[in-house]
Amino acid sequence: MTNTALANPVSTSALRRTLSRNSGTIIAGVVFALLLGFVDWVSAGPLTYFDISFLSSGGATSAIAAVGQTIVILSGGFDLSAGAVISLVNVVLASSMDPMAMEASIVGWTLVGIAIGMAVGAFNGFFIAVLRMQPIVVTLSTMFILQGVTLLVMDKPGGGIAANLGAFYLGDAIEGWLPMPLVVIGVVLLLWLWLKGSRFGTALYAVGSDPESAASVGVNVVLVRFLVYVIAGGCYGLAGVFISAQTGSGDPLVGNPLLLSMFAAVVVGGTRLGGGQGGPVGTVFGAYILMMVVNILLVLNVSAYYSTIAEGTILILAVLAGSLSHGSVLATQLRAGRARFAAWRAGMLPSQLDRTDRRLKSFGATGPAAGTLAARPAFMLRHAETLRFALPAYICLVAVVVVTQLVLGRAILNPSYWNSLLVLSSFLAVLALGQGTVILTGGLDLSVPWTIGLSGIVLAGMVSGSDAALAYALPLVLLMACVIGFANGVGIVYLGISPIVMTLAMNGILQGAALLYSQGTPAGFSSPLLRWFMTGKLAGITPGVIFMIAFVAGAVLLLGKTPFGRRVYGIGNGVRAAQLSGIAVEKTLILVYMLSAVCAALVGAMLTGFSGQASLGMGDDYLLPSIAVVVVGGALITGGRGHYLGMLGGALLLTALQMLLAGTTLPYATRAILYGLVVLGAVMALRERRIH
Amino acid sequence: MGIGSKARRLALLVGMAASALSLTTAAQAAEKYKIFLSMSYIGNDWQAEAANMVKALAAHKNYADKVDLQVQVAGPNAQRQIQQINAMVQGGAKAIVVYPISPTALNQVVKNACDKGVKIFAYDAEITEPCAYNVHIDQEEAGRVTAEWLVDKMGGKGNIVAITGVPGTSVDDQRTKAAKEVFAKHPDIKIVGEAVGMWSQAVARTELSKILATRNWDDIDGLWMQVGCFTANAMQLEAGKTAKDLIPCAGEGSNGGRIQMLPEGTEVEGAASPYAPLGAQRISYASPPYSGALALKLAVDALDGKEVAKTTILPLPIVTSETIKLCEEGTWDEMKAGCNAFKPSLVSNPGWFASIFSDQTPEVGLAAALVGQPED
Repeated sequence: MTNTALANPVSTSALRRTLSRNSGTIIAGVVFALLLGFVDWVSAGPLTYFDISFLSSGGATSAIAAVGQTIVILSGGFDLSAGAVISLVNVVLASSMDPMAMEASIVGWTLVGIAIGMAVGAFNGFFIAVLRMQPIVVTLSTMFILQGVTLLVMDKPGGGIAANLGAFYLGDAIEGWLPMPLVVIGVVLLLWLWLKGSRFGTALYAVGSDPESAASVGVNVVLVRFLVYVIAGGCYGLAGVFISAQTGSGDPLVGNPLLLSMFAAVVVGGTRLGGGQGGPVGTVFGAYILMMVVNILLVLNVSAYYSTIAEGTILILAVLAGSLSHGSVLATQLRAGRARFAAWRAGMLPSQLDRTDRRLKSFGATGPAAGTLAARPAFMLRHAETLRFALPAYICLVAVVVVTQLVLGRAILNPSYWNSLLVLSSFLAVLALGQGTVILTGGLDLSVPWTIGLSGIVLAGMVSGSDAALAYALPLVLLMACVIGFANGVGIVYLGISPIVMTLAMNGILQGAALLYSQGTPAGFSSPLLRWFMTGKLAGITPGVIFMIAFVAGAVLLLGKTPFGRRVYGIGNGVRAAQLSGIAVEKTLILVYMLSAVCAALVGAMLTGFSGQASLGMGDDYLLPSIAVVVVGGALITGGRGHYLGMLGGALLLTALQMLLAGTTLPYATRAILYGLVVLGAVMALRERRIH
Repeated sequence: MGIGSKARRLALLVGMAASALSLTTAAQAAEKYKIFLSMSYIGNDWQAEAANMVKALAAHKNYADKVDLQVQVAGPNAQRQIQQINAMVQGGAKAIVVYPISPTALNQVVKNACDKGVKIFAYDAEITEPCAYNVHIDQEEAGRVTAEWLVDKMGGKGNIVAITGVPGTSVDDQRTKAAKEVFAKHPDIKIVGEAVGMWSQAVARTELSKILATRNWDDIDGLWMQVGCFTANAMQLEAGKTAKDLIPCAGEGSNGGRIQMLPEGTEVEGAASPYAPLGAQRISYASPPYSGALALKLAVDALDGKEVAKTTILPLPIVTSETIKLCEEGTWDEMKAGCNAFKPSLVSNPGWFASIFSDQTPEVGLAAALVGQPED
């Protein structure tokens, strides 16, 4: 690299640098062009202006929203409230506009939408930037609150949007040449380019790359972070205005499903999660690539059960296309493999050398001596960090239980209350180990829902009510989970696919597998033993609770006392440092994803026992909670910090809170708002200390 | 560069293969109606069952050489369904059968499709755009009838726990509002607990467990659930109640719930508690999964030039403890004679939706719903 830079004239190297810096964007653009060409080739007729215009409006909402998400991610953040903002803007517009009035103020209503988004962004920004709370948990709370508010504004689809708003946003900027959606996206991107060139843009990338360094060179990190969420909120607001124009009506659920695909769009577009690299231009291509999948599935006539599999595969291929370069993870891994093979032939691998102790003599002598000299610090001092982050969940748990006692009665002294609490939280507690370990390494496992679903369906199908079959079915299902986790790990480690994309694609593939296996109708049911395990009573206690206690003990030991646990924390604190200190990062990461899949499969089995049967989609409600409990329990979403006992506290807290709310007759909207507020309050204590 | 051109060549190759394929199918299907099915999220039992029945109808001998059916899935995202419907119109659809993700969000694209002469048939849920054809039950009637039955069973007084559907949908809103209006007329009826059940037995179980953590079954006199009576009865048995003491439950038409309605002690092949006859006091209603198949049938009628009403309100399939009857094999003829529950040995999943009979669709029976096989 250095040699070529020296050999070439300056201008070429500058060009090359620009190219490599924008490689993600360029590749996303090329992939998009290829897909468009492909659709054009396979479709009956050539793509007309009408097709292009329709495609452009189809992807515009997610593209605009994903631009906002990209800016957040560039700053090192994460925003789960994006979909909820879109729904809120949609219902506000649909319920307050007069659909009969043909002429509504386009500028006025657009500003209303953007202002709502920015207000939400300011709310997020205040907690994240000023109070230094974790973005994922703040925005998750905001998401719940907004979903509640949205339902208060409009509890079912309806309302209307003035026709001229739709005519404006979906019409032509230049008749027959340029559709309006492209102009809207163009304006957003131009604004971004202006922003990027400003001092704020530089500060944004600096904060995303390394907030400490940014702060030490005088960047106002708090202000930058705050503004990031406000700007992103504005983008979601505009996306909400656009979807309102496109659909001409209001639907309180319209924005929620956009959330996950938004992250996929960001990653496909070449932006790195965790910040500092990439940009919104690639994201726009990413969003359109994801929308084009619909057309590709249609022209190829992919049958229904295969559609999520095909989609997952396309997602992986689109991302892989970006890694076909010299510097990619795949290429590096291949080179490393070659080097290792050469070393093996030469007999120079560490494992092939003789095992003499090469440590320095003096080091070995003073090591233990120094240990005995220094007194062990007090328990509180040794665990101060863990306590600070794990305790808030438990304190809030106590508060929720006390409130439950006061409002509903029959809680604190009622053994069946505690038994229910433990049984219901056991699912999240098991998931928390898997998801938590993944998060400790700085990743995220989105394949949890359908790992649960597929495992439950396969287990129920094999067991079909027979305890004898359970003896071989459960190990087989866990083995299947190992394979799933292994595939996730290999994709992430050796192919260099971002965890979000890999596990999201895996989730789709598993969904297809579950549909194909069950032919749409899951057969079989739980065996009596498995059902007794989750619903029976042994001296007033459900057997599953005893298992959970053992599981918790095992999990604490696994993460706290084993080499595997220490490697996990090592990787989370810095992959490079971990590598240099001799941790087998690849092997450990693969094991981490296998652990997560096995935990999800266990939950699948437990849910099958609990419900007595398995159903498609039984894991759908466990994705966000599995992340929430980990973060509420004090873990850092960027990895490296967190204790399993904290996550357990998170699982207990969220379950107790839901039990309290379920016991009341409050409307769902109010419950969602309360839930969000309590979660937000619970993690207030987890605020980061000041950077300086 | 090398890689790029290789990829392009590959794309070319795949494209050629695919276009060759589509050419042959196009030639074969020259006289067939090209009809698309646009499904929403396929990952739940009801959707998959409904899709099986649509496929079975298209494969029936009366339709196989008339209809060229392509099934596509939009997922839970209304944006994608908009784009999908448009791509279907561009792909030469004569009619599109759609499970609408949103009753309102599709209006523009549906209108656009109608303008191009494409017939749009929505099943189960509704599309509010006037040019669309709708096939569904009267959701308000469902909420009202079940609530009235429950009030009657409870003698007009007592505590109710309600488990609703997916918040923010029209279907849930209409059913729940209608039921609550009925309850409001009886001052001695009190809703003491309410939770969101998402139309899933698994969720119903979790939510009921939460409610019962601070309550006893003895404090509850009636259950009004959109989905979950099977689970609620199972939970009461686990809590030590006998079959005779089961609380009256107004709820969905799952086969498990129907089997529980058979008199206790009835011999049923494959039954095992709680998926067994219990003599449970029930009213069982459903959004029937045959609505998609019927929508396809009506779409073909419309393309044939027959008169088809814009809105087809399906008769509400109601089964009570008085009308419950076990099927031997589950053929359409047998169901026509009045049976409405299926043996666990045939349907091993108790959550499977049993309201599959319509006198308008003799082409599809149990085999259609289970594996997509039409009747002879």
